[in-house]
Amino acid sequence: MPRTIALLMAGIVGCYGLNWFLSEFIEVVYVDYLNLIGLSIILAVGLNVVNGLTGQFSIGHAGFMAVGAFVGALASILFTYGEIAAGPLEHAGLAQFLLCLLFSGVAAGVLGVVVGAPALRLRGDYLAIATLGFGEITRILLTAQDSLGGPTGLKRIPKMPLLPGASGWDGGTSVFWIYLFVFVVIVLAVRLQRSTFGRALIAIRENELAAETMGVPSARMKVVAFVFGAFFAGIAGALYAHYQHSVRPDDFTAVRSIEVIVMLVLGGLGSVTGAVAGAVVVTLLPQLLRPIEEALGIDGLSMVVYALLLVTMMVFRPQGIFGQRELSLKLLRRLIPGRRKESP
Amino acid sequence: MRKALSLLALLALLAVASVALLGGCKDKGGDNAAATESGEIKIGVFLSLSGKNADFGKTTKNGIDLAVEEINASGGIGGKKIVLVSKDTRSKPEEAQTVAKALATADKVAVAIGSVESGQSIKAAPVFQEAGIPMVSPSSTNPDVTKQGDRIFRVCYLDDFQGQACAAFAFKDLGFKKAAIIFAQDDDYSKGLAEFFRSSFKALGGTIVEDVAFQGEVSEFKDQVSKIAAANPEVIFAPVYYGSIGLIARDFRKQGVKAPLLGGDGWESPQLIQLAGETLEGCYFGYHYDPDDKDEKVQGYLKAYKAKFNTEPNSLSALGYDAVYAIKKAIELGGGASSDQITEGLRKVVDFHGVTGTFSIDQNRNAKKPITMLKIGGTNLSKVKVIQPSDVK
Repeated sequence: MPRTIALLMAGIVGCYGLNWFLSEFIEVVYVDYLNLIGLSIILAVGLNVVNGLTGQFSIGHAGFMAVGAFVGALASILFTYGEIAAGPLEHAGLAQFLLCLLFSGVAAGVLGVVVGAPALRLRGDYLAIATLGFGEITRILLTAQDSLGGPTGLKRIPKMPLLPGASGWDGGTSVFWIYLFVFVVIVLAVRLQRSTFGRALIAIRENELAAETMGVPSARMKVVAFVFGAFFAGIAGALYAHYQHSVRPDDFTAVRSIEVIVMLVLGGLGSVTGAVAGAVVVTLLPQLLRPIEEALGIDGLSMVVYALLLVTMMVFRPQGIFGQRELSLKLLRRLIPGRRKESP
Repeated sequence: MRKALSLLALLALLAVASVALLGGCKDKGGDNAAATESGEIKIGVFLSLSGKNADFGKTTKNGIDLAVEEINASGGIGGKKIVLVSKDTRSKPEEAQTVAKALATADKVAVAIGSVESGQSIKAAPVFQEAGIPMVSPSSTNPDVTKQGDRIFRVCYLDDFQGQACAAFAFKDLGFKKAAIIFAQDDDYSKGLAEFFRSSFKALGGTIVEDVAFQGEVSEFKDQVSKIAAANPEVIFAPVYYGSIGLIARDFRKQGVKAPLLGGDGWESPQLIQLAGETLEGCYFGYHYDPDDKDEKVQGYLKAYKAKFNTEPNSLSALGYDAVYAIKKAIELGGGASSDQITEGLRKVVDFHGVTGTFSIDQNRNAKKPITMLKIGGTNLSKVKVIQPSDVK
C-alpha cells in the first residue's frame, strides 16, 4: 500500500511537471495534440482490457464515453453555475470536478454491468453487434433529450480546476488532469495484467472452455473486465467534455468506437504498450499530415494516406506494432548489445 | 511497476520527441500587435473543405475569396491588405476546435470566419473567446452559437426568425389558417424551425392540424404524408434540406395533396428544381436574397462570382462574401485592425448594405436582417415578399 501511495504521488508530481513544462514553453496547438492523445490513451488502454486481454470484441466504447461525458458535463454545469444557461466560462471547483469524474466513471461502469451481463453471454460477431447497438442507442437517446440540449448537446461546460502555479490556455491545467488519468489507467492496466485476475482473463481469451474447467468464473470475470473499460471510458468522456467545453451526441458515433479499435489493432491487441502506441499514431497522424495537405492544396489527402498506412500495416505486420509484447526495461536492455551478459 | 514506469518514460519521450519534431516552441515575443503593424490583416477561416459537408465549406470559401480579392485589388482596408489563413475542419466539429486553436495561437489571426455547421461553430467559439479574438459565423443559424461568448458574431438570420417569418408569411400574406408540419426529429435546424413556426402560427391565430416527424435518412414518406393528407391542411411547412424536399413533395403529389409546401433556406440548391421536378410548382421558401434583385450590389456580386468560378453562387457564398465585407466595415468603425478594435467595430455595425440584404448587428451579436420569400414556378424563382425583422413579433 505505501508503494501505491508513493507511486501515485510520483504520478501527481510528474504530471504537474509535465503540465508546467508544456504550458510554459510549448505552443497551445501542440499541447492540444498531446491532450487529444492522452484522451485516446485512456480510451484505448481501457478497451484493451476487454478486447485485447479478455478477447471479447466490443465495439460500443463510444457509448460509455458518451454517458460519462454527459453525466460529468451536466453535474459540473449544475455544480458551477447552478443551472443550464448562457454566460462566460468558469473554472470548476477542485472537489466538484473530482466528484463529477467519479460520477461519470461510476455511471458508465454501472451501465457496463447492465449491458455487459447479458451481452457478454454472446460471443464473437454477436457480441460485436450487441455492443455496437448499445453505442448507437445511447447516442440516439441522448439526441432526443431536449433537456440535454438535443442534437447540439451541452454547452458552457466549465474549464478544468485551477492549479497553484499553473497558468496559460484555459488556466493551463488540462495536461495535468488528462495525463494524471493516463497515468492511473496505465498503472492499473499493467498491474491487472500481471495479477492472478489478469492471467484468468488471458485464459478466457485463449480458451474459454478450458479456463472454466480450471475454475475460472468466466461470466463474472468478463463483466469485471468490461466494467473496467467502461469506467475509464466514462472518465475520458468527462475529461473530453471539460476540455472542449461542449459535447454533442454526434461526438460519440460508431466511428469513434471503431477508431479506438483501430488504435488497439494497430498497436498490438493485448499489449498496454501497443494500445498507447496505437493511440499516439492514430490521433497524431491526421494532424501531422495537415501541413502536407495544406502545402499541396489537396484537402482530404490525409484520409487517403491514413487509410493506406492502415492497409500497409495490416498486410506487413498484422499483429500490430508491438504484438502482444510490452516495452519494459528488460526489453530495452536486450536491445542494447553487450549488456546482455551482465543481467543474470 | 517497472513496466509502468518504463511505459511512462516512453510516453514522456514520445511527447517531447513529437513536440521537438514539430518545432512547436512558444514564441513569447510577438502578439497581435505585430500582425497589425506589419501592414497586413490576418483573417482566419475554418470551414469543412473535405468530408461529407465539403460542399458547404467550398462554396462559402469561394464567396470569401471573391470578397478578399476585391478588397485587396482596391487597395485593401486603410492601405492594409487582407491575408487569409484557411484551415479545413474535415466536416468534424471536434476538429473545428483543434484548427481554431491553431488559428488563434499559432497563426495569431485578428479575426476568424467560420463555420457553416452550427456544431462546428459552437465547438470553436470558446477557443476564440478565450483568445480574445472575434469570430464571425457566416451561416450558422442555431441560436446557441452566439451565446457562447461576447466575441462571437454572425451575419445570417436565426432559426427562430426564419420560423416566425414563415408563419407570418403563411398566415398574413397567403391567408392560410390551417397548417401541417413535417420535420426531421434528429436535426437541430429542422426541429428548431418547426418549433418556431408552430408557436408563431398558433399565436397568430392559425391551427396546426397535423405535426409529423421523421428520423434519420428517409427516402419514403408515404405514412407521414397520408397522415397529413387526412388532416387536409391549406399549407404544409417542411423545414428540411434540399435532399429530402423533392422526395417529400413527390409523395404529397402522388397522394393528390394540392396544398403548397413552405420551407426555409435549407431548400436552396442549384439542383432544387431538378431534384423536385414539377412537384414543387407553386411552393414557397424563405431565402437570404432575391437572385433577380435589381440592386447593383447583388447583380455585381452575381456577375463577379460567375466570372471567377464559372458556376452559380448559392446563399453560402453570399454569406461568406458578406462576412468579409462586414469585417471590413467593422475595421473602419472600430478604428483599427486589432482583435479588440474589430470586436468593437462589429458591435457597431448598423444598416450594413450587403448582398444578403441590409442588416444590423444587435446586442446579442446576431444579424437582424430581412428574409426574402421566393415562389417556385417552372424553372424560375420569383420574389413574393420581403419580411423584415420588425414584421414578426
